[in-house]
Amino acid sequence: MVRKSKRDSVNRRDFLRAAAAGTAALVVSPAAANASSPQPARSAGAPPLLKAPPDSPAAAEVMTVDRPGSDFMVDVLKTLDFEYLCANPGNTFRSLHESLINYGGNKAPEFITCCHEESSVAMGHGYAKIEGKPLLVCVHGTVGLQHASMAIYDAFCDRVPVYIILGNFGDAAERFGQVDWTHSAQDPAAMIRDFVKWDDRPVSLQGFSESAVRAYKIATTPPMMPVALVADHELQEYAVSDGANLSVPKLTMTSPPVGDSGAVAEVARLLVAAENPVLVTDRVARTPAGLASLIELAEALQAPVVDRNGRMNFPTRHPLNHTERGGAAIANADVIAGLELTDFWSTVNSVHGQVNPTTRPATKPGAKLVSITANDLFMKSNYQDFQRYAPVDISIGADAEATLPSLIEAVKRQITDDRKRMFADRGAKLATAHQQVMQAQREAATSGWDASPISTARMSAEIWAQIKDEDWSLVSNCQFVSRWPLRLWDFNKHYHYIGTEGGYGVGYGAPASVGAALANRKHGRLTVSIQNDGDLMFAPGVLWTAAHHRIPLLIVMHNNRAYHQELMQVQIMANRHNRGITNTSIGSVLVDPPIDYSKLAQGLGLHAEGPISDPKDLAPAIRRAIEVVKRGDPALIDVLTQPR
Amino acid sequence: MRYSSLIAIVFALMLSARGIEAQAPAAKSGDAFAATIANGKRVFEATGCVACHGAQGQGTTLAPQIAPPPMQLAAVVAYVRQPTGKMPPVPAATASDQQLADVYAFLQSAAPASTGESLKGNAENGKRLFVAYGCYECHGRQGAGASTGARIGPPAISLMAVLRYVRTPTGQMPPYTAKVVSDQDLTDIYTYLKSFPPPQPAANIPLLNQ
Repeated sequence: MVRKSKRDSVNRRDFLRAAAAGTAALVVSPAAANASSPQPARSAGAPPLLKAPPDSPAAAEVMTVDRPGSDFMVDVLKTLDFEYLCANPGNTFRSLHESLINYGGNKAPEFITCCHEESSVAMGHGYAKIEGKPLLVCVHGTVGLQHASMAIYDAFCDRVPVYIILGNFGDAAERFGQVDWTHSAQDPAAMIRDFVKWDDRPVSLQGFSESAVRAYKIATTPPMMPVALVADHELQEYAVSDGANLSVPKLTMTSPPVGDSGAVAEVARLLVAAENPVLVTDRVARTPAGLASLIELAEALQAPVVDRNGRMNFPTRHPLNHTERGGAAIANADVIAGLELTDFWSTVNSVHGQVNPTTRPATKPGAKLVSITANDLFMKSNYQDFQRYAPVDISIGADAEATLPSLIEAVKRQITDDRKRMFADRGAKLATAHQQVMQAQREAATSGWDASPISTARMSAEIWAQIKDEDWSLVSNCQFVSRWPLRLWDFNKHYHYIGTEGGYGVGYGAPASVGAALANRKHGRLTVSIQNDGDLMFAPGVLWTAAHHRIPLLIVMHNNRAYHQELMQVQIMANRHNRGITNTSIGSVLVDPPIDYSKLAQGLGLHAEGPISDPKDLAPAIRRAIEVVKRGDPALIDVLTQPR
Repeated sequence: MRYSSLIAIVFALMLSARGIEAQAPAAKSGDAFAATIANGKRVFEATGCVACHGAQGQGTTLAPQIAPPPMQLAAVVAYVRQPTGKMPPVPAATASDQQLADVYAFLQSAAPASTGESLKGNAENGKRLFVAYGCYECHGRQGAGASTGARIGPPAISLMAVLRYVRTPTGQMPPYTAKVVSDQDLTDIYTYLKSFPPPQPAANIPLLNQ
């Protein structure tokens, strides 16, 4: 939109001071504003608080600004080393937008054009889980933030940093039309305050500078979460005054919180003395070092790892990976250590029954429970993602990855030769059990092997056959395909898997995978996503973003033609109400007409094939798509699949 | 005749034929049989056996099939008190010997179908009903199973066990009352699922050995 007037070269501080003075004058002397009323007498020498409106056209308007505040904002943001900016354009941050692409040269950060603010944030979510740092997201005032909010909530629940700048017309007197008003808020970040770690609305450029650095520091200190910084239009667009003394403070990253040494020693004592210790992991490995540390701890103890897969924590084919027999391992454990475990209570309890469910422990009586998580250090009230309270025996409020080295050291100090022999025996039994369980997975995969629609096991095996010799990265949630990749593939690097949505918000999958692929691009990795159909339909425009910016990504559709989770839930209700399930597909299926994802993707600029319903056609289609991806472009294969 | 009216009689025959040792259900009346089996099912679920062995003891990827029990009751009791491998122990405080005997009776009643089981179902109609009743939603369109439901094609348990189970299922499986699905419809579905051959061994599939 075009704004009808523009003041330039106005010192922001002078402007605010004048505005404040005017407001005060109006408060103390409202009659002064009424031209028909007698003017109150003024003391000699006092300057007039209100100026009469000009009765003739103003002097020639200066129509350019040489040093907009947004240029300084770019100076600040460049110190934070953002690679990319994901945004859908909006006039509440138009000055910053222009400064980023011209003054900033559209480099570090480079503007990634998004078709929906939910996509912008979810791309940042996926990117951060690969790259280990946030990218920048700019969000339009009110409506843009409303679009972005679900994705922000997902990142919050997933403890992932996303750095968000919100545009806004803060000063009501500077809003020159209906749109400015509808896109403005008195407290713009209020809507998301319950699910960001920190937000601020600086009122000066120096304040912006300091808050911007602080926001980065807060977002990237465990527990990591999104942060939001409001950039009011006035701050962006008015010129930096001559002689302004602006600076950017040094960013010094906060070291992650490490567990108290006494508590860590006690945990080590319990683990070493245990007959059947179990390590339950969820969001432990933030970096490659986390993965290596967890392997070292498990091997030192010869203890099984049951992975909840919130991150790429532990190799799937390691003999101590007992995820697929997790229930039995936990039931037999005498010490259970939850490491960044999101839902400890459900790990050690089970729920039975449907209408009036009951619960009971899933552990042996007397089993000791240990928790190490940074979640205990920061928790919000309103949204209930913190899960049911788990009464553990030792609770260490610390980042698990950062605590692992000291825990490993403490464990190794306490291991005697006798325990070493016992651990070796235990390890041998665990290795055998692991092999048996993995063989059971392969046997289970044979069911419906040649079925059409294609089984998710077959689809996963076909993908694996084509990527196993590449430097690959799976960036989609495996839960909706019965976890087959995690059950069949060899995951062993930190970028091989990035976990789930965090908040189970549908619509995360497609943009998060594009964001993760963006992070993988410079590393030359073959990024793969198994894409749920219902998820893609929330904001398919992100496919265009991938094509436009040449983000290489292999997308294999898990096209079961339904919001299948909800279809099952409605069926459960229909059965419970004893009314049959004749109508349960109403509202939950995507069949009439069937969605042609191949054509959809082609229309958005992707190489695409399908729908494929014969499993024998999968391998050649995937190979052709990989050739496209290796050339640097995204490609999509539409596969008609079994429900799960 | 409705299958449900036959169940108690058939169970009585099955149990007496197998000769359960202690607390022999064969010595009980028909109602007592039913109570024993019902209690065994309740204990089987309450102690978490279903989590690894499946709701009908048919076995899962986590633990083997135990219906019908592969050993005598006394041996079963001894084993669950001090199991080997990954099986967690079941102490007497969790399930008494009497309760384990009831579980034993339940598992015998839930015995898998014999290969010679006589069926009078309509597989074609069963295929249609399998989709219409939403069975495919959790179990896949050929009953191949998924994270949401066990493999049921081909079924590992008897028709009678299926008929009983779908009326009072465990876990998240929704109950199908006779008002919603008749015994004949379930028989047709069962016949459809029986039409699938057992899957080939994973060793024969190169894609599963990489």
